[in-house]
Amino acid sequence: MEFVLSFTRIGTILLYLLTGLALAAGCIGAVNLFTARAVGNRLNSSLLLFINTVFLLGLLLICWFHYQIYVQLPLELPAHLIDWLNRYLESAAGRSSHGIPLYDPDNPPRYLIPFWIENEKYYFWFFCYAVMAHIGFLRLTNHRLRGLLLVILAVQVLILFVFADPFASPLPSFFNSYLPWINGTLTDMERIGLFMRLYSKMTFYYNASYMWLHPPMLFLSYGAITVTFVTSVFMLFDRRVLEVEKMGYDFAKFGYVMLTLGMLLGYPWALKAWGPNWWWDPKICSSIMMWAIYSTFMHTRLYGNRASMWYFTSILGIVCFGAMIFTFVSSFLFPGEHTFQ
Amino acid sequence: MKPKGSYDYYLILATCVVLAIISVICIYGMFAFKFAQIQQTAPDVKAAYMNGMNLLVSPFIIGLILLLCICVPKRLLPVRWLNIFTAALLTATVLVGVVWGLLTALKISLGVTLILQLIVLVMAVCGSEHLNFEKKGYWQRVGSSALHLGLVLFIFDLFFHQNRTLHLFLFWLTTTTTVAGMVGCFYAEAIGHFAARILTGQSSSGRQKSNGKAE
Repeated sequence: MEFVLSFTRIGTILLYLLTGLALAAGCIGAVNLFTARAVGNRLNSSLLLFINTVFLLGLLLICWFHYQIYVQLPLELPAHLIDWLNRYLESAAGRSSHGIPLYDPDNPPRYLIPFWIENEKYYFWFFCYAVMAHIGFLRLTNHRLRGLLLVILAVQVLILFVFADPFASPLPSFFNSYLPWINGTLTDMERIGLFMRLYSKMTFYYNASYMWLHPPMLFLSYGAITVTFVTSVFMLFDRRVLEVEKMGYDFAKFGYVMLTLGMLLGYPWALKAWGPNWWWDPKICSSIMMWAIYSTFMHTRLYGNRASMWYFTSILGIVCFGAMIFTFVSSFLFPGEHTFQ
Repeated sequence: MKPKGSYDYYLILATCVVLAIISVICIYGMFAFKFAQIQQTAPDVKAAYMNGMNLLVSPFIIGLILLLCICVPKRLLPVRWLNIFTAALLTATVLVGVVWGLLTALKISLGVTLILQLIVLVMAVCGSEHLNFEKKGYWQRVGSSALHLGLVLFIFDLFFHQNRTLHLFLFWLTTTTTVAGMVGCFYAEAIGHFAARILTGQSSSGRQKSNGKAE
């Protein structure tokens, strides 16, 4: 497919550019951590602007790629299978309000894939952080804090480049399941079987309206938690900087609203897609754990003027970040409805 | 930031302890699920795991409910009366629990909290000065009241999870109230400025209209 090749070529160039810029910013940021005075302030400000511009261009490229999937990869069935399929779908749905829609031959089902699945989720998450790091960079002039924001950004872009490149092999899981549909010579029964697998996943996962709300809100909160983590680390070493604490709290407030709303919006989706048997799934456990720790942080922060509470709040800010990473990684380590195992 | 040693401070500390314990139970649940390979077991084993986790976490959810029950009336009552109220509530919960069962006792406690929180919200919306908030801003009080109402509704909603229609209605009500409350609490100043600008704009455009008519 021509559009996949174009996506890979342009995306790879953008990712190389992004990695170069982020590494440069990260190196200058690392130097700033150990110097008494700010080094390369203006250069870093420009680098951050370029990094966010390249991130944005990459996101626009992903949007274009998904639009091409929508236009060029419909799930079209031969005419003689449609009546049979619709009779089957009607009987399977019964009285359930969560059944799969009937097949419309004039308007065959198309993939409306959100911009944050598979490796693209890392891209979106780190882009959220890059924007927030830029806001933090402009808001406070402390060169060490700025340096730490940039070092974390460089680490994230490096992770993207080495482990989670969304451009090199785009949407591997999606294409692995879709390619037999266009490549293979399938019998009618095989085609219907494959269609049902693809169509149900399209309905409840790729095209689900909650997919456009639940994950991006969580990634926005992840970005905000990362900035709060940076300010919390900073607060551990310097008690005097109230404005750093204030900025960390501002990001924490935003992250908390997004996390709560994102988690709540996942609830009716889970009921619809999985029924009632997902409660106390490991991912749900870890999400509740993360929310509980974040709630504790938000409560203790109200008494941050006490010396012991200042450090306790800082440590909780770091624990929040640890809980976020643990929650994210749990998808790969623990089995369950929600995970990749 | 708040001064130390207030009633709020100890309630917050107690809330933090309960939340921390719930976190630990969640981590335990993750490993229990993984090592017992619940994913691959029969539905009844999975149901037993879910019931076991519900049982394990329920004392702490009850703790959170009781903390909410104490947290809400503190807006309405002075400390002395609040102590009496807390003692009466705990006694009533235990008595009702012994006679009619724990679930009924919790439903009654939550019902009382819900009514009180609604009163607090209405008073906050009306701008009452009789509420005991540590923060003075109008939107902060309204937001905090809505946020707590959302939490009470959420726990109430858990009791109705088998009634699908009511459950989802309460769920959306919870979501709206909680998020609106958070926004009110966290961005009180911005909302205040925004509301003032709208009101000022309206009054100035009203003035312009009336001036136009006069001319």
